[in-house]
Amino acid sequence: MRALRAFLRNPVAMAGAVLLGAVVLMALAAPVVFPGDPLGLAGRPLQWPGANPRFWLGTDPSGRDIAAQLFHGARISLLIGAVATVIAVVIGIIFGALAGFYGGVVDTVLMRVTEAFQTLPNFLLLLVLVAVFGSDLKTVVIAIGVVAWPPVARLTRAEFLTLRERDYVAAGRMQGLSDAHLILREVLPNALPPVIVYASVVMAVAILLESALAFLQLSDPNVPSWGNLIGLGRTVLRSEWYVSAIPGVAILLSILGVSLVGQGLNDALNPRLASR
Amino acid sequence: MSGPTRREVFLMTGAAMVPMSAIAQATPRRGGILTVHFATEQRILNPSLQASTGVYIVGGKIQEPLVDLDAAGNPSPVLAESWESTPDGRAITFKLRQGVTWHDGRPFTSADVQFTAMEMWKKILNYGTALQQFLTAVDTPDAHTAVFRYERPMPLGLLLRALPDLGYISPKHIYEGTDIRQNPANTAPIGTGPFKFVQYERGQFIIAERNPNYWRQGFPYLDRVVWRVVSDRAAAAAQMEAGQILFSPYSSLALADMTRLARDPRFEVTTRGNEGNARTNTLEFNFRRPELADIRVRKAIAHAINIPFFIENFLGTYAKPGTGPIPSVSTDYYTPGSPQYGFDRAAANRLLDEAGHRRGAGGVRFSLRLTPAPWGEDIALFATFIQQSLAEVGIRVEVVRLDAAGFLRTVYNDHNFDLASGWHQYRSDPAVSTTVWYRSGSPQGAPWTNQWGWTDAGIDRVIDDAATEVDPAKRRALYGEFVTRVQNELPLWMPIEQIFLSTFNRRMRNAGNTPRWASSSWYDTWLAS
Amino acid sequence: MKLLLLALRRLAASLPALVLILVGLFLLLQLAPGDTVDALMAQMGGGDAAIAADLRRFYGLDLSVTARLGAYLWRLLTLDLGFSAIYGKPVASVILERLPATLLLMTGALFFAFSFGMALGVIAARRVNRWPDTLISTLGLIFYATPSFWFGLMAIVVFSVYLQWLPAGGFGDVAMGFTGWARVWDTATYLVLPVLTLALIFLAIALRIMRASMLEVQGMDFVRTARAKGLSDMRIVARHVLRNALLPMVTLIGLQAGTMLGGSVVVESVFTLPGLGRLAYESVVQRDLNTLLGIVFVSALLVIAVNFIVDLLYARLDPRITG
Repeated sequence: MRALRAFLRNPVAMAGAVLLGAVVLMALAAPVVFPGDPLGLAGRPLQWPGANPRFWLGTDPSGRDIAAQLFHGARISLLIGAVATVIAVVIGIIFGALAGFYGGVVDTVLMRVTEAFQTLPNFLLLLVLVAVFGSDLKTVVIAIGVVAWPPVARLTRAEFLTLRERDYVAAGRMQGLSDAHLILREVLPNALPPVIVYASVVMAVAILLESALAFLQLSDPNVPSWGNLIGLGRTVLRSEWYVSAIPGVAILLSILGVSLVGQGLNDALNPRLASR
Repeated sequence: MSGPTRREVFLMTGAAMVPMSAIAQATPRRGGILTVHFATEQRILNPSLQASTGVYIVGGKIQEPLVDLDAAGNPSPVLAESWESTPDGRAITFKLRQGVTWHDGRPFTSADVQFTAMEMWKKILNYGTALQQFLTAVDTPDAHTAVFRYERPMPLGLLLRALPDLGYISPKHIYEGTDIRQNPANTAPIGTGPFKFVQYERGQFIIAERNPNYWRQGFPYLDRVVWRVVSDRAAAAAQMEAGQILFSPYSSLALADMTRLARDPRFEVTTRGNEGNARTNTLEFNFRRPELADIRVRKAIAHAINIPFFIENFLGTYAKPGTGPIPSVSTDYYTPGSPQYGFDRAAANRLLDEAGHRRGAGGVRFSLRLTPAPWGEDIALFATFIQQSLAEVGIRVEVVRLDAAGFLRTVYNDHNFDLASGWHQYRSDPAVSTTVWYRSGSPQGAPWTNQWGWTDAGIDRVIDDAATEVDPAKRRALYGEFVTRVQNELPLWMPIEQIFLSTFNRRMRNAGNTPRWASSSWYDTWLAS
Repeated sequence: MKLLLLALRRLAASLPALVLILVGLFLLLQLAPGDTVDALMAQMGGGDAAIAADLRRFYGLDLSVTARLGAYLWRLLTLDLGFSAIYGKPVASVILERLPATLLLMTGALFFAFSFGMALGVIAARRVNRWPDTLISTLGLIFYATPSFWFGLMAIVVFSVYLQWLPAGGFGDVAMGFTGWARVWDTATYLVLPVLTLALIFLAIALRIMRASMLEVQGMDFVRTARAKGLSDMRIVARHVLRNALLPMVTLIGLQAGTMLGGSVVVESVFTLPGLGRLAYESVVQRDLNTLLGIVFVSALLVIAVNFIVDLLYARLDPRITG
């Protein structure tokens, strides 16, 4: 409760919440405001914003309404951000919890794997995964989750390393509680706050990764993603730069929203740092 | 954004003076460096080993073919001075040019022709291996005569149309006894052409300089040709505008940039000089999908797509509706009047209903996966347009995006597609490039062949007869029959015809004056000051 | 000598991860649709099945996966990275050609990010909660949220298309045949926009860290004392604050080295720089396995080296950590 109050009183957090709320609102309103297929042929391609009152943000090189794609794209970005983050956080927690709780050989092996993933530039691995498994939305989301988990694992492990030495864990062991119980019920809840804060970073990274993939024309072309639009606009950048510019602003504002909310959460959950 | 800027006005007034200066410079000027846009780097530069525009644009200035095409599109002598065929089409004799030397000073002889034909065209050169499949030997009665012997009749017309692309000669003394695929000359070619290879920096540039001992006395005019490797289309357009590149071949710029440059008086964007390089956009149907094996569904799909609308709004003035596999630039074999499938949404819906595909939930009849080839902006645009158009008649299309290797493997080897879309490049004669798309029996995995799961014995027979028919009139009639048959069956659809676009800086003279100019040797090209 | 030993031990500790990556990627790419010969056929614009089979034999693609993997690892033991099918020459020389652009890009971006990040961070901390701080902090947040490729594209629109100050892409104008300083200047003009683009997010991070460290240290006794002694701000910043702020900064470099290499894939393709990142992208598309694994190998070594240097610096900067 105290954390919530701190969050609500924090202007930074509120600014983030407003931005993120706007994106969510766009996503929810998309089918109402633009009921048709956002990828359908709407009119002549490459009409400038305002040139035709029907398309207030203009049309893209395939004659599709940019405004419609922007609204429907909000759903895609949020979906990708949320699902990929859940995947990354779950993998990261499993790796980090096991490594941190058990230590020893388990720790060494798991951390070697984590290290391997971290040594490999994550975008490169993403490229390979998409080249191998295809670029439909499901694959892209899973692939992003798969490349984004190592920092979560490290963070969780660090928390577990300190928490497992606490008295209540030792007491639990004495009572003969199972490892699973100790990990899930005793240690994890206490290790979660920093992980939750970090999840906002993962979400921002996930949205950025998808848009970078889409920019290289490697994401799913069957969904109205903001990154796809930027990539499409690249060939007409010299004359119709608005095609790339508009969705870029949308990405920027959503990521800004996500990271501000993350910062607000951080301040609220770790009050000793809030004074900074 | 409204009204011309000062800069533009300045350019316009400059443009008004162009014709006058052109008249003043009617006599060719010697010297100068021609800078050329090189968009797709190749593994090798030797056109006797690899038939692709990316090789011709460089290697075609350094090495020469036996025969090229003249301004009217007829075979004209280069390294071969004359040719004749026996009436049965089994022996074709070439009289070779005398006094020609390789860039390293050795004389060019019939032994080079023999070696190149037997070791390169027949064994390694793509399209060449199929063309020369029945070549048994090349006899060399003297140093300047080469006799090609064929197991089955080879129509002289077919060979002469194919040789400008598939008839480049390599020096025997460089390649004999080596591993041909790994020979250093593959990336540092030695030829007889007007330009001598100087340097190749991968990812950056290639340089060739004037061959002072060229057999055409007094040619070439240019001092140097420099190819700049620029894979990014937008960057290449910027370099054209900055004067860093004078010529961009084969539609290598973005459509939007070409449209923009076409309005700029400094440049000419044209199909001129590429008439021999026509291509058609394709829509391939996989007959393993029961829906698509039904001719009514294939016809419905064709009727559902408004080709003139697509061309007008997305491709501009440089494309036109295609009527079949043989494009209209092929004066010998183009067949007007074959069955066509114009835009008619009502007919499409009716045909789909007749085929038993009623609209289900959300108005969807059934779903298809469309796999567009990853080369060419127009293919991606066309794929989106197909997706949008078919949605209107109740066919949901999911676009499957693959890279080049993935596309070839998925479509031609794994057959894991419903619809595919790409380019068919017409190479002077249907037997060279076109009939393989329809002839059954190609081994699984061979790219750009009939892998649709469709066979038609009648069409196979027409294709085979035409390939060995020596009488030109009968050959023409056979291809007429071929076109009519495949347009009736519609195993694949080629609804758009395009010719590659060249973007010239107007300083270039004698540019684009032959039907395969971009691939040709540029011996008479010069630069106005 | 002790340093060398330390370096070797570090390398040995990283070996399992490295082998894991190489073997993993090798096996992963076997699952990809199409191989390098398919990519070659696409580049050639056609050819029959016999040619494809012939090429597969030529590149050893007809052997079993285990045989090829074994051969690859065996060659790697002798530090032989193999032969690139697409480029037709040894992978080592292909990589060496592309390395300068990427190294220049990365060091340039790091240098820019940290010098400006520090300067802005110091200014913000000195004027904490007043308008310069608000402005700088907001800018930092926006930089952090900007997709780098989009920033690059917009920079091209502004600086190359409209203002025509800087080239839109490429890496030096070869045909001009510049030498000496003219060449350095020419190359520099091509690097300005890519370096800015890549540096953006690191600038944002550096700025935040610097500001936080400044604020933390400012309140401490020794800084108060120093100030009371009449030491100038510059000297206080240089002597006490920087040293403290450098620790997290240095850690950051170690953590971000890999990310930066990944980021250069995108930045190099926006600005068509002939660097390692774009080479990696191309070799994935071309299924040029040897080249891709070679790049991964080299970049992993790079990351390991950076982290080693970071550790050394750490020991120097933080007196609590010894040896």
